[in-house]
Amino acid sequence: MSSIIHNSQNQTKEYSRRYLLFYIATSVLISILIFRLWHLQIVSGEQLKTFSEKNSLKKTRVAAPRGLILDRDKNLLINNLSGFMVTISPQYTSNLNDLATALEPILKIEKSEIITKVKKSRRRNGPFLPVPIKKNLSREDVYKLKRLRVDYSGLEIEETQLRNYLLGENGAQLFGFVRQISKDEIKKFSKRYKNLNFEPGDIIGKKGLELSSESTLKGVNGADFIEVDARGRKTYKSSSKFLNMEPKPPVPGNSLVLTLDKDIQEAAYKAFQREDWVGNRVGSILVMKNTGEILAWVSTPSFDPNNFSTGISSKLWSELTNHPHRPLRNRVIQDHYSPGSTMKPLIALAALQEKIVGPYTKMYSPGSYTLGNATFHDSHREGHGNINIMEAIEGSSNVFFYKVGQTLGIDRIHRYAKLFDMGEKTNLNIGYEVPGRIPSREWKKKALGEVWTPGETLVTAIGQGFVLTTALQMAKAYNIIAQDGIVYKPYLVKQILDHNNNVVKTFEPEIITDITQPTEDRDTYIKKEYFKYVQKGMRDVFHGDKGTATWYKIKNFEMAGKTGTTQVKRFSSKNIYKSCKERPPKYRHHGWFVGYAPFKDPEITIAVLAEHSCSGALGGAGPFKDIVLAYLEKYKPDVFLKTQNIKKVGANSQ
Amino acid sequence: MNNPLTSSTSISRFNFKFAFIIFALVFIGLINLYSATHSLNLGHNTQLFWKQLVWVFIGWGIFLSATFLDYDFFKRFAYPFYFFNVIALVCVKLFGHTALGAQRWIDLGFFMWQPSETAKISVAIVLAKIFCDKSYPNGLGVKDLFLPAIVTLIPFVLTLKQPDLGTSLLIIGIAASMIIFIRVKWSILIFVLVTGVLATPLLWNFGLKSYQKDRVKTFLNPGSDPRGKGYNSIQSKVAVGSGRLLGKGFRKGTQSQLEFIPERHSDFIYSVLSEEHGFIGSLFALGLFAILFFTSLRISYEARDKFGALLVIGIFSFVFFHTFINIGMVIGILPIVGMPLPLLSYGGSSMMTIMLGLGLISSVSYHRFLF
Repeated sequence: MSSIIHNSQNQTKEYSRRYLLFYIATSVLISILIFRLWHLQIVSGEQLKTFSEKNSLKKTRVAAPRGLILDRDKNLLINNLSGFMVTISPQYTSNLNDLATALEPILKIEKSEIITKVKKSRRRNGPFLPVPIKKNLSREDVYKLKRLRVDYSGLEIEETQLRNYLLGENGAQLFGFVRQISKDEIKKFSKRYKNLNFEPGDIIGKKGLELSSESTLKGVNGADFIEVDARGRKTYKSSSKFLNMEPKPPVPGNSLVLTLDKDIQEAAYKAFQREDWVGNRVGSILVMKNTGEILAWVSTPSFDPNNFSTGISSKLWSELTNHPHRPLRNRVIQDHYSPGSTMKPLIALAALQEKIVGPYTKMYSPGSYTLGNATFHDSHREGHGNINIMEAIEGSSNVFFYKVGQTLGIDRIHRYAKLFDMGEKTNLNIGYEVPGRIPSREWKKKALGEVWTPGETLVTAIGQGFVLTTALQMAKAYNIIAQDGIVYKPYLVKQILDHNNNVVKTFEPEIITDITQPTEDRDTYIKKEYFKYVQKGMRDVFHGDKGTATWYKIKNFEMAGKTGTTQVKRFSSKNIYKSCKERPPKYRHHGWFVGYAPFKDPEITIAVLAEHSCSGALGGAGPFKDIVLAYLEKYKPDVFLKTQNIKKVGANSQ
Repeated sequence: MNNPLTSSTSISRFNFKFAFIIFALVFIGLINLYSATHSLNLGHNTQLFWKQLVWVFIGWGIFLSATFLDYDFFKRFAYPFYFFNVIALVCVKLFGHTALGAQRWIDLGFFMWQPSETAKISVAIVLAKIFCDKSYPNGLGVKDLFLPAIVTLIPFVLTLKQPDLGTSLLIIGIAASMIIFIRVKWSILIFVLVTGVLATPLLWNFGLKSYQKDRVKTFLNPGSDPRGKGYNSIQSKVAVGSGRLLGKGFRKGTQSQLEFIPERHSDFIYSVLSEEHGFIGSLFALGLFAILFFTSLRISYEARDKFGALLVIGIFSFVFFHTFINIGMVIGILPIVGMPLPLLSYGGSSMMTIMLGLGLISSVSYHRFLF
C-alpha cells in the first residue's frame, strides 16, 4: 500500500512543471477576460451606457401580410385592409384603471372589458406584449387617442392589417376566419409547420381554408430596428442608421386562386333567400363544374368572419355558439342527411347493370307495398300504375324501387353505392368532414349488434333508414352520372400565386376512375349504355308529364335532376299524407334537389339541401333553377336570352 | 487538513472551500436568473426560476453523492460508462427529440437526458484510465495516441453530426488538455498544429453548416450583416458595457429587461450580471470561477493517484472551456456558440453535468488519503 502512495506521489511530483503551465495558461486567459471587461465597462462604459439608455435599438417584427384569396377569375374574395389599432403595454401602464376610464368614451368599450383584456393577456403572455384593445379605429379615434397618448404611458397606436372578407357572411364556413395566435398555438403550429416561423402577434387561420392553407397564406415576417427610449416607447424609426443594419422587409404570403366563381357563389347564396321558400333557410348548396372544380359552396345560416378579424366580442361569440341553427357549422361537409329519393338514380343504375329490370320493363307500382306484415307507403297514395324505370325516376315511385331494391339485396346496393364514393370522405382537407354512411350487413352487426332485416333493404333503396350523405357527396355522385361514369376529383384550389402574382403551382382536373370499366381491384362497374336511361328519367323530372319538379323548368332549356324528401320524424300511416306545411317546422321533411345542366353535354352539377322545407321540389328545385340561370347568364348569354319569360307549368310538387 | 494523520474523520476530509465556491456561484446564479426571467416574455416567467431551483437541489445531491463515492468506481467502470454513453449518442441521432434544428435529447420521462453533455465527462474518465497505467518518460508517441484518438473521435463525430459543433470541439479540447498535461512529443504537437492550420479552409468549406459560418463571419465583422445576425453580439456588448463600474442595479438592466438580449436566461446570462452589477460584479463572479479553477488544479496536484490527478485535469478543462468560451462570447471576443455558463445559466442538463463533474473533483479531494 505505502509503496503505491509513494510511487503515485512521486509521479505527481513529476508533473509539477505541467501544473505550473496550467496555472499560467488559466491566469492568462482569465486576465484576457478581465481586460476586455475593463475595456467595455470602464473605458467605453459611459458611451455604451448612453447608447443603451437613449438610443436603444430594438429589433421588432414587421408582420407579413397574409396571402389573398381570389376566385377563378381572380376577383378578390379575401384581402387585407390596413388600419390603425390601439394597444396597451401592461409593463408601461402606471394606472390601468385611469387609462381604461379615459378610453371608455372614445372606443365605446366598457372599462371593465378593457381591464380584463389587459390583465388576461399579462397573465398569459407576460407584461411586454402589447394588448390589442380595438382594431379598426376611425380617423377621429386615432386623432383623439394621439392626444391621450401624451398623458398616459403604455398607450400605443399601431398600424395593422385587418383580414377583410368581401363576401361577408357568404361562404364564411368555407373560408373560415383568422385570429391572433396564442402562446399554445405558437408551439402547436411550429410543430405542425416545421419550416414556418410563428411569433406572438401573428395572425393565423382558425377554420376552413384559412386554417387548412396556413402554410400557403402565411408570409415571412420581416425585421426592423426601431429606437426606443428607456421606457421602451418608440421614439422614431431608424433604418440602416446603425452599423448598416438594414431592415429586412416582410415577404407576403402566397395567394390562393380558388375554383370558386364569385358570381355563382353569390347567386347560390341568394337562391336560399327565395320568396316562395317553405323552409327555415337552413341548408347547404354545392355547385361543381363537370371537371370537379367547385364553383360555389354555401352553408346557411352563416356568420360574418369580419367580426373575428377585429377580435370578436364574447357576447357575439356566445350568440354564435348558442344559435339553434349553429351558423359556424359547415353544413356542406359537416352535416349528413338521408338522401331520400335522390338515391334512386344510383339504385336504378345498379338494377339495370344487374339486369333486374330492363330499361323498358313495366312494373306495377301501387300506393303501398307489403313485406311480411309491414306496409311500406308510397308518397302518392294512389300509386303510379304500370311504369318503367325512367318513369319511376320521373315520378319518384317508392314502390318501384322497393321491388327493385328487394331483388338487388343490401349487399349489391352497398357495393354499387360505394362505386359512387357514397359514405366516403372526399378529403378536400378543409376541416372536419363527416363520411356519411352506406349501411351493410357487417356495419349493422358491428354498430348495433343486430342482423339485417329485409325491410331495411327496402328503405335503403329509397335513401331512407340508415343511409346518410353530405351535399358534397351527392354533387360528386350526380356528376359521375352526368359524365357517363367518369369520376372527377372535387377540388377547390386552382392555383397558388406568389406575392408578385407569379404562378407557384397549378392544379388541373383529375380523373380518379371510370366506373364503366372494371379495374384490377374493383369488379363492380356499370355499362355506359345504361346511363342514358337514368339520365332520361332525370330529365323528365323537369320535362315529363309527371315529373316532380316540372314547376321549376326553364323555357327553351333542358336539364336533369332528382328531388328527394326525407322524413325527420316517423308518422303513423294515418298522418303520413297530412300536409307538410301544417306541421310545426321542426317536424317538416328535409328537401333535396340534386341535378345537372345542360341535359346534353352537362357543365355543372348542383346539390341543394334545404332543412325542413317539406319537399325536394319546394326546397331544393327552386334554388337549383336560380343557380342554373345565373350560370347561363354568365357563361351562355345567348342561351340565357332564350330562356327568359319563364313559363310556369302546373304544379306537381312531389 | 494539512496533516494526513489528523484528517481521518470523514467530515474534515471534505473540501469545504471548494464546495463553498460552488455554493456562492450557484447562489449568484439564482439571484441573477430571477432578474433575467423577471420580464421574460415567454410566459410562465417565474416557472424558470423555480425549475432552476429544483435543478440546483438535484445538482447538490449529485455533487455530494459523487463526493462520497470513491472515484475508483469510475475507473473500474470507465469503459461500460463510455460505451453506454456512445450508444445513447447514436440513439439520440436516430430517435431523439429535436430542438432548434438539432437532435440532442433523450426523454427519460422525468428528465430530458442530453448524452452529449455526459459524453464530455465519459471521455475524461476513459482517457484518465488509459493514461494512468503507464508512464511516458519521453512524452506520448504516435502508438500511445492511437487508442486515445479513437476514444475521443467517436463521440466527437457523433456530436458533430447532431449538429453540435460547440460540444464536439469541447471534447477535443478536453482530450487535448489531458494529452498536453501528460506531455506529448514535440514532433506530434507541431504536426497537429500544421495540419490544423491547413485543414481550416477545408473545414470551412465542407465541415460547417451555414449558420455556423454566419456566426463566425458575424463575429469577425458584426456590422457586416444587413439582416442583423450581428445583433445579438452587439446588444450583448452594449449590455455589458453599459453596466460600467457599479452596474445599473438588480432588475434594472434596461438591455436585458427590455429584451434586447436574446437567450438571456441561458447562454447570455453573464450579460445580465454584467449590466446590473457592473465591473465589480462581473469581476467578483469571474474571481470565484478563478478560485474554482485554481482549487481544482490544487486538488489534482494532491490526488492520491495518477487516475485521480488526470481525471481532475480533464474535468477542469471541461468546466474551464465552458466558462471561458461563454464569457468570451458574451463580451464579444469569441464567436457566438450555444454554450451555457457553468452554474449560472438556466438549464437542468448543464447544471447536473457540471455538478457531477465538480462532484468527481470533490471526490478526488475527499479520497486523497488512503486511510
